[in-house]
Amino acid sequence: MAPDQTNLLQGTLHMMILKALALGELHGLGVSRRIEQITKGTFQVKPGSLFPALHRMEEEGWLESHWGESENNRRAKYYKLTGAGRRQLEAETKRWGRVALAITRTLEAS
Amino acid sequence: MAFARMKSLLRNLLHTQREERELDKEVRAHELLLADENIRAGMNPEEAGRQARLELGGVEQVKEQVREIRAGHLLEMLGCDVHYAARMMRRSPGFTTTAVLTLALGIGANTAVFSVVNAVLLRPLPYPDSDRLVQMWSTNPKANRWGMWTAYPRFEDWRRENTVFEEMATARTWVISIKGGDHPESLFGVITSSQIFQLLRVQPMLGRGFLPEEDQPGHDHVIILSYGLWQRRFGSDRDVIGRTVDVDQQNYTVIGVMPSDFRFPPELPASYRVDAWLPPAPDPSRNERGSNNYYTFARLKPGVTLAQAQAEMDAINDGLAEKHSEDRELGVKVVGWRRQVGSEVRPALLILVGAISLVLLIACANVANLLLARGAMRQREAALRQALGAGRARLIRQFLTESLLLAVFGGAVGLLLAYQGVDLFIRLAPDIPRLNETTIDPHVLIFSVVLTLGTALIFGIAPALQGSSTDLQDSLKESGSRLTIGSTRAKARSVLVVAEMALALMLLAGAGLLVRSFVRVQQVDLGFNPKNLLTAFVMLPPSKYPEPRRQALFFHEVMDRIASLPGVECAGGADSAPMLTNDTGPVSIEGHPVEPEIQAERPKITPDYFCAMGIRLLRGRTFTWADSEGSLPVAIISESAVRQYWPNEDAMGKRVKLEDGSAPVWRQVIGIVGDVRQDSVVEAARPEVYAPLLQVPVPYLALTARTRAEPAVLTAAVRQAVMAVDKDQPLSGIKTMEQVVEDSVAGRRFQMSLLAVFATIALGLAAIGIYGLMSYTVNQRTHEIGIRMALGAKRGEILHLVVRHGMILAIVGVVLGTVGALLLTRFLSSMLYGVGANDPTTLLSVATLLIGVAALASYIPARRAMRVDPMVALRYE
Repeated sequence: MAPDQTNLLQGTLHMMILKALALGELHGLGVSRRIEQITKGTFQVKPGSLFPALHRMEEEGWLESHWGESENNRRAKYYKLTGAGRRQLEAETKRWGRVALAITRTLEAS
Repeated sequence: MAFARMKSLLRNLLHTQREERELDKEVRAHELLLADENIRAGMNPEEAGRQARLELGGVEQVKEQVREIRAGHLLEMLGCDVHYAARMMRRSPGFTTTAVLTLALGIGANTAVFSVVNAVLLRPLPYPDSDRLVQMWSTNPKANRWGMWTAYPRFEDWRRENTVFEEMATARTWVISIKGGDHPESLFGVITSSQIFQLLRVQPMLGRGFLPEEDQPGHDHVIILSYGLWQRRFGSDRDVIGRTVDVDQQNYTVIGVMPSDFRFPPELPASYRVDAWLPPAPDPSRNERGSNNYYTFARLKPGVTLAQAQAEMDAINDGLAEKHSEDRELGVKVVGWRRQVGSEVRPALLILVGAISLVLLIACANVANLLLARGAMRQREAALRQALGAGRARLIRQFLTESLLLAVFGGAVGLLLAYQGVDLFIRLAPDIPRLNETTIDPHVLIFSVVLTLGTALIFGIAPALQGSSTDLQDSLKESGSRLTIGSTRAKARSVLVVAEMALALMLLAGAGLLVRSFVRVQQVDLGFNPKNLLTAFVMLPPSKYPEPRRQALFFHEVMDRIASLPGVECAGGADSAPMLTNDTGPVSIEGHPVEPEIQAERPKITPDYFCAMGIRLLRGRTFTWADSEGSLPVAIISESAVRQYWPNEDAMGKRVKLEDGSAPVWRQVIGIVGDVRQDSVVEAARPEVYAPLLQVPVPYLALTARTRAEPAVLTAAVRQAVMAVDKDQPLSGIKTMEQVVEDSVAGRRFQMSLLAVFATIALGLAAIGIYGLMSYTVNQRTHEIGIRMALGAKRGEILHLVVRHGMILAIVGVVLGTVGALLLTRFLSSMLYGVGANDPTTLLSVATLLIGVAALASYIPARRAMRVDPMVALRYE
């Protein structure tokens, strides 16, 4: 893991976690693997960033959690989006679109 | 969302343990999931577990990172830190007590000094809207005089012509005698114009203030009593209003009683109590434009600035200078009143503030030193906490919390000390205006809290940085650290000890200079002998003794009676006596061009005055009772008068004239006496021209009686002697001359004592500092010393090794401190007498003292080092 991959901007990390959970509930490792899969390995989320983010988002009311069984019968904590989480994902997606567009234009302008 | 966070905050604070268990399970489950993945990828279980732990990066670290983002985390952590810090403090009571007491001393002393500064210099005057109050001084730029009082007629012109002040008033102190009871009593009165109470916005407690016309002749026999006089002399009788009292043998009507907390003038020291306020009726000088006796003040109209007031007063003054010859040379200056009140003591107080701040810095350095030493012992603890996931910031916060807790305890104890200290300060301090207003008020409390926090930061920051920067590897290893650890720590401690030495030297230098000045002051030849000398004042009321002849006869008889008392050697009197009273003014010298600026002291004396005072007669003769009205007008002059008026001639037989309003006659010089210190111990003697009382009668004398034994026992006898001549005549201000001289140097003595105490504390703290460091070093180097001894080092060499280390620190500190002292002591120069601000003897002696103390403080641990048993030291590992 290259060090720059771990320094995800916090907002970006939140957005990616929301996106990862948009398709259904996952435990922590699942979230991390889903992000790797979506980004084709560009982003790898370490537990040291993942868990603080999950807990923070749960405190914000975007996620809720419950204990469940994993595929090989281990107890794990599962997270899923709340209504507020879905609205947050929409808002973040829109904002990201605007920012990305702006940055692309800036880079092309010169 | 805000609501969601609040809910989380509550949950986190209320269900900490459940949250913690959940978190632990979650993170551990993650580790197991990772391991499962690795097994699926084909690793053996052991390798899978290892890889999982590596990727996780430590269960405790992850948990700590989660905790840090939780709502209420800061609060919870602070609670933890305080709890932990309190436990650490309880666990080492010796350390805690030392640190808290050191801080309490520093913070307490600073708080006490600040509360005095607050009362004397910062707090508004004790009247409503006092920031609009100003004082007005007459000036004489040609004579370089900037703070003269003002003649009453001139004040009346100012009051009539100005448009910038709401009110203007004037006042002077006045001794009145009041009759009735078992003996007549001298009262301390204040003569004032009628607007004073409207101006100050203070109302009498009973009755009324002065009416506007009550400072004019015909309406002016009214008097307002102080609360104290009303209680003492009138038995708190509420019917006193309207009653007639006998003041200076004239009838005055009581119109009011002031409340007990009313103080005026505000700059009057607490030991003076004003008994009564009255119009200028008794003062014969109220119509004299040349007598600058009144202290004038005013209240600015709203919106008028000081500069506008000054401009208008300048214009009024120009008009008056054209109309009145007495005003021709005079100017006027308007100044804020509060600033003026503290102006004389400001330099002395600021020096105290500076000195006590240095003491606090030394205290901080000492506590920082203690913390660093403890940091060394707690290194493993810090490393362990780091290994368990605490970041550096987290550790710094923990260490600072501990410092803060120490400081808070120190501050609390310090506040108690300050409370006591202020009382002590007020009791011991000489007369300082408004000192009695000193209290621990909210401003002082805020100061003390800010000081406490600042202190915690100053002494806590170095140990916190040091304590948190541990090298995990080194610290956790069981051994091998003994020789390497703490080299930077020791360096930091050395810097602190050097700083303490330097600061202590500066304080010692300041105190040393003041002590040497005081010794010089004590050695001054006053020109008179204050031992066995009783003094008192007699003021004859002009209403009863209108003729000068009768005044002179009264004093002649009193002198004879006092002189014949058993135990009295001789008795004299003068209207101007050293450190008691003044009559300074112009004199003329025959044959010299008229110069109004020839000023001299002009005492009118009884014949035995020189005998009583112990002033030396150098040539000619003293006065006798035969030098009276009909005989040749004579004078006796002092050595400095000879030097100034007839530098190269024989002064005997020359003639002088007093320009004091008495009969303008030339007086022949019949004697020359030694100089006296007229104004104070430290001010040089001025020319004196003495005249016999019978030729120039005055209604006011300072009596002086030389006694064979302790003078105070004659007080009653002297009072009886005066009352035997006139049973209504009171005597005031009875004191021994030694007391008078002592009072005049009391401020100096106090300043010196305080600085000496501060310097002693500083010296003690610095000694503890260097002792602590050397003990620590010896402990750290036990192993090394053991090796040295095993290799053949002699005990003396070991002793030398340690003491030399201490001496190097002390000498570096002394050198730096000397540089600091050379820069700082010039601020003391106005308080020094007979020594220069950079007096080498003083600097050398305090440097020697400091190095001596440092040597002793290093010798004790060095002896311990010398006794190290090499076998024990080496086995100690």
